Amino acid sequence: MTDEVSASVRDYIRAAGGGLIVGLPLLFTMEVWWHGFELPWWKILLLLGIGFGIVLGYSSIAGFRRERTVTELVLDSVIALGLGVVIAAVALVLLGQIDGTTSVREASGKIALESIPIAFGVSLAATQLGGEATDGDDGANPFERLLIAAGGALIFALNVAPTEEPMLLGIQAPFWLLVLVIGVSIVVTYALVFLADFGGRLRTGAGILGHPWSETLTAYAMSLLVSVVLLWSFGRFDGVGLGPIMGMIVMLTVVASVGAAVARLLVGGHSEASSD
Amino acid sequence: MTKRNVVEWAVLAVSIAAIALLVAALILTGLNENRPADLRIELRPTEARTGEHGWLVPATVRNEGDQTAEAVVIEATATVAGEDEASEIEVAFLPAGSEQEVVFAFSAEPGSEVTVRLVGFQLP
Repeated sequence: MTDEVSASVRDYIRAAGGGLIVGLPLLFTMEVWWHGFELPWWKILLLLGIGFGIVLGYSSIAGFRRERTVTELVLDSVIALGLGVVIAAVALVLLGQIDGTTSVREASGKIALESIPIAFGVSLAATQLGGEATDGDDGANPFERLLIAAGGALIFALNVAPTEEPMLLGIQAPFWLLVLVIGVSIVVTYALVFLADFGGRLRTGAGILGHPWSETLTAYAMSLLVSVVLLWSFGRFDGVGLGPIMGMIVMLTVVASVGAAVARLLVGGHSEASSD
Repeated sequence: MTKRNVVEWAVLAVSIAAIALLVAALILTGLNENRPADLRIELRPTEARTGEHGWLVPATVRNEGDQTAEAVVIEATATVAGEDEASEIEVAFLPAGSEQEVVFAFSAEPGSEVTVRLVGFQLP
């Protein structure tokens, strides 16, 4: 019993650590604080909901425990988000972004937005940093790999999306440069995942999604989608023409697609580590 | 079904409470958000002091509305040694229900009463 308790405590400390690792850059990004009170309340709730959905999807692939019922899966995801909320609240108070003069609306908006990346980190830590690879895991199936790719795209792009830079880059870039950037992004992510021979190189699976090029392209499309959702979330499309919007999406997808590649490498490494 | 121990139940309870509180706060404050930004400036002449570069008078600018006001410019005017003098301050962000301390500076203690006015602000 005592061993069990101390194991749980260790699990949660690790989870909180993972939350901090992923969440810290955004805790130190002022645009996120501002979005906490600028965005309409329903959009913040919607983002919190989307964030929870992603945590749920991620936990379903791997999580705090291996054999679980649906209820346990939901409860584990609730814990991931709950830890995110608590850590975000404590961190924002320590950073002086929530104090006596902060209104409830402002504080809750800030906590809600900051808790999302922390919750991702919490569920990541529960899966990737645990050190215990699943026995007999044949690696994620293509669909799971895409979900993981989307998660990686989100975590990387989330660090950049709230800032002004993707907006500026997107507005300034001429059309031909955007086309070039798309091509380079696809080639670079292909090389990262399939040529660079990192420790966790993916084994290619069967089916259409199993082919390296088709997986690269699907992952790129997934990254585009993540960028669109993020930019819309932060109100970057409001009152902006189609040209600059395309530019912003392409530029943010540079970051998102590399995130998707790294995530697939991490998961690939997971399965290979267990096979030796 | 794996059994949860005391720690896991406690963490779960705290998590549910934290999320419920956060969502409730967002919805309750959000549903009551219908008034536009409403700025109040409160000058505190009793706390004024003379500093190295003149006379400093603190003030609090508060947003009593439900919408954020950005780039809020406020101005204080007074007559100093027979001349009209103005002190202008910009507050980058003033979220709903929040307040910001500011200090107006004049070259010397004014002979007249200090008046404050709102110059304007941006909507998010």
